[in-house]
Amino acid sequence: MLPNEIEWYFPSKINEALKLIKRQGVILHAGGTRILKTQTKSVKGLVDIGGLELNYINEKGKSFHIGSAVIFGEIVKYSRETGNLKMLGTALSNAASTPLRNRITIGGSLKDFPLWSNLYAPLIALDAKINIINSKNTIIPIEDYVSKGIIKSKHIIKEIVVPSDKNLIWGVKRFTLIRFEYPLFNIAFSLKMKDEIIEDARLVITGVQGRYKRFKRAENILAGQKLNEELIGNCEKLITPKFIADYKYSAEYKENVAKVYFKDLLTEIAGRK
Amino acid sequence: MFKYVNKPIEKIDGLALVTGNEQYTDDFNFENMLYVSIMHSGFAHAVIENLDDSAALKIPGVAEVLSYKNVKQILYTTAGQGFPEPSPYDTVLFGRTMRYVGDNVCAVAAESKEIADEALRKIKVKYKRLKPLLDFEKAEDSKIIIHKDDGAFPKIPVYYDASKNMPSKVEADIGNFDESYENSPEKIDLTFYTPYASHCALEPHASVSYIDNRGRLVIISSTQVPFHVRRIVSHLVEIPISQIRVIKPRIGGGFGGKQEVLLEPIVALITWRTKRPAKLVLNRKEVFKSTRTRHQFRTIFKVGYNQDGKINAFHLDALENSGGYGSHALTVLSNAGSKTLPLLNKIENVRFTGKSVYTNLPCGGAYRGYGATEAYFGYGQIIDIICEDTKQDILEYYKKWSIKSGETSPIFKALGEGKEGVAMTVTSTSLNQCIDTGAKESDWYAKKKLYGANSDLNKNNRYKRGIGMAALMQGSAIPEIDMASAYIKMNDDGSFNLHVGATDLGTGSDTILAQIASEVLDTPVEKFIVNSSDTDITPFDVGAYASSTTYLSGKAVQKCAEKIKEQILKVGAEIFGSKIEEVEVEDNKVKIKSPNDSNSLEKISFEDICRYAFYQNNQFQIQATASHVSPKSPPPFAAHFVEIEVDTLTGIIKVLNYVAAVDCGTPINTTLAEGQAEGAIVNGLAYALFEDYYFTPHGKMLNDTFGKYGMYTAYDIPPIKVKLIESYEESGPFGAKSISEININGALPAIANAFYNATGKRLFKVPFIPEYVLKILNY
Amino acid sequence: MRLNFNVNSETKELELNSNETLLDVLRNNGYTEVKCGCNEGECGACLVLLDDKPVNSCQVLAMSIKNKKVKTVKGIGTLFIPHIIQKTFAKAGADQCGFCSPGMVIASYSLLKENPNPTYEEILEGLDGNLCRCTGYVKIIEAVEKSAELINEKN
Repeated sequence: MLPNEIEWYFPSKINEALKLIKRQGVILHAGGTRILKTQTKSVKGLVDIGGLELNYINEKGKSFHIGSAVIFGEIVKYSRETGNLKMLGTALSNAASTPLRNRITIGGSLKDFPLWSNLYAPLIALDAKINIINSKNTIIPIEDYVSKGIIKSKHIIKEIVVPSDKNLIWGVKRFTLIRFEYPLFNIAFSLKMKDEIIEDARLVITGVQGRYKRFKRAENILAGQKLNEELIGNCEKLITPKFIADYKYSAEYKENVAKVYFKDLLTEIAGRK
Repeated sequence: MFKYVNKPIEKIDGLALVTGNEQYTDDFNFENMLYVSIMHSGFAHAVIENLDDSAALKIPGVAEVLSYKNVKQILYTTAGQGFPEPSPYDTVLFGRTMRYVGDNVCAVAAESKEIADEALRKIKVKYKRLKPLLDFEKAEDSKIIIHKDDGAFPKIPVYYDASKNMPSKVEADIGNFDESYENSPEKIDLTFYTPYASHCALEPHASVSYIDNRGRLVIISSTQVPFHVRRIVSHLVEIPISQIRVIKPRIGGGFGGKQEVLLEPIVALITWRTKRPAKLVLNRKEVFKSTRTRHQFRTIFKVGYNQDGKINAFHLDALENSGGYGSHALTVLSNAGSKTLPLLNKIENVRFTGKSVYTNLPCGGAYRGYGATEAYFGYGQIIDIICEDTKQDILEYYKKWSIKSGETSPIFKALGEGKEGVAMTVTSTSLNQCIDTGAKESDWYAKKKLYGANSDLNKNNRYKRGIGMAALMQGSAIPEIDMASAYIKMNDDGSFNLHVGATDLGTGSDTILAQIASEVLDTPVEKFIVNSSDTDITPFDVGAYASSTTYLSGKAVQKCAEKIKEQILKVGAEIFGSKIEEVEVEDNKVKIKSPNDSNSLEKISFEDICRYAFYQNNQFQIQATASHVSPKSPPPFAAHFVEIEVDTLTGIIKVLNYVAAVDCGTPINTTLAEGQAEGAIVNGLAYALFEDYYFTPHGKMLNDTFGKYGMYTAYDIPPIKVKLIESYEESGPFGAKSISEININGALPAIANAFYNATGKRLFKVPFIPEYVLKILNY
Repeated sequence: MRLNFNVNSETKELELNSNETLLDVLRNNGYTEVKCGCNEGECGACLVLLDDKPVNSCQVLAMSIKNKKVKTVKGIGTLFIPHIIQKTFAKAGADQCGFCSPGMVIASYSLLKENPNPTYEEILEGLDGNLCRCTGYVKIIEAVEKSAELINEKN
């Protein structure tokens, strides 16, 4: 339960919002789904992003600029209606539930990055960039946002820039036993092809120790090759995701099943031409 | 054959429910109401050395704090059962000894929930931690004694030994098991485990109480047992039963979880002391941890049989984890035997040995299936093992060896619910047809041929498919113990008030009881105004448990309606000037059976009948009551067929198809009967595949939210087909038995048997989570 | 404090605190048809429409929805003027205890408005935020299919 006297702010300018969240105990409010679960007594003020005009999906050249206030449900709908952003849309269509997808925002989900996130794997696989505003306006790769600790700083996310997946062969897969569950991991693969040859591969898993991992060694042996069963087998040997055990699954099981899913997804992608 | 019964009639409260117009307990609000918050123990085993509520009492808006300091330590059982209860009186409202994480420490009543929660945080409790007993297999000989010198006692003369941590022991011995087992050429000795589970009724436990205008205590509660609530609250608050009224409004599900008196005494005490209304609604975490659960079980089957499949000796040994308190300990334990063993009644040497033990873990209580579910896991596999070993057709095996109409089983008498059991004969069964129908609908024989661990399909396949089945029985009400009653009065427009103590948890009992009365009086269901479960207005009923409402309460309604019919016919005869034998009811009217021309009146409407009775001559109120106790508990039967696919690389089991053929006698309402079966089946599947309580090494539940515990959505269900295969039970209303529990028993054994069919390996532990499945596959 | 909210096409002043969820505010102001099953956004009993989109009202902070339109199940149909979906649910036996029913009706209503001819998969996705322990979902899915049929017939 949030404390009784919370101040609400409804700024119309990003700079205003930025100034506000620099105060102690004042945080951003997007969909609100995580605030109720993670933030309680320490919160003194909530800065609603609704007035900051961050709710847009713009196609610019071969990329899509998605404002941080866009909800998951909107991306799913957009991808189904336009045929764009299919990889991201597919991954997000499995997240949480229909009503929750009507509240979870891109920005909120990026800032939070829980282990079960459906968002990060496809974004990293697509080499998406994130535009954040702290003292200045910076655009950085999503991986840097996490690995360089920027995620922990006080900032406002303006938008993400997601390259088109139209000319990629991609796949997303996650491990759950039932539909409404926190997935053990999410994997996302994207392959840039020239004729039958793989030019560039990005293989990502989230939910592992350290939150995410690029299977760079496997990506390297894929580059310049034709995707076949033998190659997939060689890749599989290089897959060693490290997990933390929890009360339901051992680390060993998670590692084994991640390997199985890795192979399943690559095989599935290879089947699509 | 029937006009109102055996029909898919819409629930009388259906439209009100789907338009959000019905009220559940938390929807009732009163002026000046207090909100209650409970502090639960964070320790599995501890004694409160001191509790300081002084700071809490100073907070403005705090009205009352309840703890061992100001609540009389009156022993009782929380189990909602008939008096005297077969469960031990081992619980006090707010005691000093905490026996599981979730046990009640104290309660605060305040002007708002926020203030109550804040006040709880200001209460300082000093505990002396004790070593917790967390392994139920080590409980009996443990040095840790959970109920030590607390005066706990059995209310009826049954086994109770707190010094051994045993709230119950149940035994039955028929024939000579030892000798027969020894002499059997083939022997089985296998152990099975089933886990904790939560009912997950969508509405959390809730109770509200207030003092009415004449100073009586009124309790509105989400309960399956309003009359037991009244009695137990009287016992604990120490006020006469006549001072208490208990009302059950709409409830959002129970499944046994609300056959327990947990919240009512707390709000009652607060209201009685402060004279203000009080409301207590648990949050989901509290429901998971501090209310009741399905008992964890270990079952050991020792079976001796011949090479032709005949079973000579059958021993079911059951160990039940009762948790910190013993509510439903004896009865669930006993049912593990009494609802399984009679199914194959021709076994001459049968032994049941059951023990229930205390542990410092959440408490088991009533949960749909009630011991049968836990025992069928092993039972259904044992039969499959015997058939596989002796190369028999399991369908023919069940058809040959299962109990038939006209037959009995000595287990009926040997295993009761605290008292001696009741000998009885089965008088209705369509189990053979259930088996045949299920086999046909599931394409059993073709699939059996196609599947198999060494089949071409499965041999080198990562994904292995299998099909398995199980035959089941349950009961209908508790014979000679449970009582139900009904009251009907007529109104001067031809409508009737039907008052029943019977408790509708969403099962639709209000509707089906009206259907039964409709059938007797040949008048539409809409003519009945049903009032249920109000201890001031409706006559007694034990409540919704033991699959009793249709069979027992329904029979009381049928008897009551017959009496009403008599009175209506008497008035009709008087008006016609004929004899009562010459008139009959038909379609809302009384008519002469064989009219001749001299009769100017051929038919009199029910409306006119009542007006005559109210206003014209020999005036009286057409009204009647009836009660019913059953001398038997006729079992419903079912045959479940499940087809699965096992991913041998991940251990994930996917259910491809589920067919259930069910004998509930005459289904009073076919839509509702199917709905009961479908709901129970889906619950059974979840229990088989992933439901469990995960504990820390200190006995604290870790997965206490829906998301972490796991709940199916519409997305996850396999194709499910339910076929109602009628039989006719003479002793039930229009041939009806029961259906609410039995279908949760099929998933465990049928999936396990399908798993064997797919992989050649057996599953011994529920839930069949992927890591366990892999372990079995790779062993 | 008291603020104006638009609930079921009516603008009303509701009593609320700045830290309360939409669920709390609605229930405290008499809209008890919105149910609380878990208060954690996991069961869907508290579903309402927010600008025509189904959301878990227990996960929405009331202060943040100022100018948006809220619809509860009674905004879709009432006892005396029920919506086709509600009539169909009741007829199909899709409600047993009824606790999940308001949420199910809201999810179904929103689904069929967006997608009047949903595939089976699309129906399952539309209901993926609504838990039910009584029915096993079988008759609920049938009710949604039937509702789609009847609504399309009517139009």
